[in-house]
Amino acid sequence: MHSSDVEMWRHEAGRLGWAAGCGPALALVVAAAVAALTAGDGAGRPQVSLVLITGLEALLPLAVAMAATSVVATDRARELHLSLPTRYATVLGRRLGVLAGATSAAAVAFTGVLWAAGLWSGPPVVASPLLWAPAMAWLGGLAVFIALLTRSLLLATTAAGGVWLAQQLFASGFAAHDWARPLYLFPVSRLGAYPGWMTDRLVLTATIAPFAAGVLILLRRPERMLTEEEA
Amino acid sequence: MTGVREMLAVCRYEFWMQIRKRSLWITIALLAGSLAAGRFGMGPRYAPAPPGAPAQEVMTRWAFLFSVILPIAFGMALADRLLRDRRLHTAELLASLPPGPAGRLTGTFLGSVTATGAPALAAMLVAAGYETVRRGDPAMIPWGLAAFAAVLAPALVFVAGYALVCPLVLTTPLFRVLFVGYWFWGNLLLPATLPTPTGSLLSPIGSYAASWLLGTPVLHAGIPGPLPVLRPVPTGSAAAASISLLVVAGLLPLLTAGLLRSRRRTA
Repeated sequence: MHSSDVEMWRHEAGRLGWAAGCGPALALVVAAAVAALTAGDGAGRPQVSLVLITGLEALLPLAVAMAATSVVATDRARELHLSLPTRYATVLGRRLGVLAGATSAAAVAFTGVLWAAGLWSGPPVVASPLLWAPAMAWLGGLAVFIALLTRSLLLATTAAGGVWLAQQLFASGFAAHDWARPLYLFPVSRLGAYPGWMTDRLVLTATIAPFAAGVLILLRRPERMLTEEEA
Repeated sequence: MTGVREMLAVCRYEFWMQIRKRSLWITIALLAGSLAAGRFGMGPRYAPAPPGAPAQEVMTRWAFLFSVILPIAFGMALADRLLRDRRLHTAELLASLPPGPAGRLTGTFLGSVTATGAPALAAMLVAAGYETVRRGDPAMIPWGLAAFAAVLAPALVFVAGYALVCPLVLTTPLFRVLFVGYWFWGNLLLPATLPTPTGSLLSPIGSYAASWLLGTPVLHAGIPGPLPVLRPVPTGSAAAASISLLVVAGLLPLLTAGLLRSRRRTA
């Protein structure tokens, strides 16, 4: 990698901002703090482990969705980007890539710590990325798509938050139907690692395609995003 | 009196600025519409009241149906209100104006709470209008207003207090994540799973007020869990205590932020 490439990625990480970049890692820290409080309250090891797994499977994807929405909505130099040879889609892709990379590194490190401490209770640890990555990409994809479609931070964050809450509330409803189960984002923490879990995660990953296609179509006309403030 | 007039001017400005925000109306309309359309599959607690049910029951069911998810939109809408002044570099300019930090904070709070509550009130009135036509009972409108005041308004005040102040410390993305997580943990997750304030007087989902209006415990009101003193039997006085506690708890972060800002100004 050229030094100019390193400089460019460093620049993109800086433009991402520490609040968005570190948000997912901070969400894991919060999960660890809640787990410590739960343990302090006399909860058993399985319950503490469930809190930590919930942090990885549920809280992390929500944090990525909120951070990705901020990345899309708060770019102050969008007008300048449109005048440069590099396409805006490329710039946005790089920043979301930095966010995904930082989040993945935090998630892998968190998984390693849980496994080393004997607190891992999910699927086999080699399949652990399937615990958080599909839900992260799905919820993040939804949030970015709505942010680009509506140009509204409020709509995008509420949609991500509303879907997350509805999935938590109606977990049994998703489990009751064969067609709905693969679309459930948090199966391990709410339904347990049932047989066929891995296939369902792969199906969930495939359902990200419409969001990705929508994002690519919307980014063909980036001038749509030229608004000073949310309407 | 001058301070009050200036504070009301800030409140008026904030209200008109936010009430014109199309995305706020669209978000609340989409959420309320989805809840109304999906309530049949959400379980018996959220289902429409049976035919012949009194207006009080019909409209309270609408209020607690909305209170499950609508406050998420309140939190998202208000999360960057105070940070916006900093982002647009108008904080210093606003600080030079006659209202002091406390007046500006109070005005911003009152204006943004009223504006954010307006689409939710409109959703309740639409539901009340629908029920009036469907059931032929004109009492639906006043009971709709009463249910909004008892169940949704305290939730709005509580959420607004934290949504305005917490992002100043936590940053907006992290606050949004923690707020959605809190809403599930602190209002809907049963204490048997984890220690949680669900079903206590401090649950902003409005379980005590809804239980009192319905005459039967709903939304886990009074369920055994941590801090038993905050989990009395749901009665009228318990509902009043819950509403008062939620309003006071919502004002606490504002009070703290106001004191800190005043101290910084005089330092």
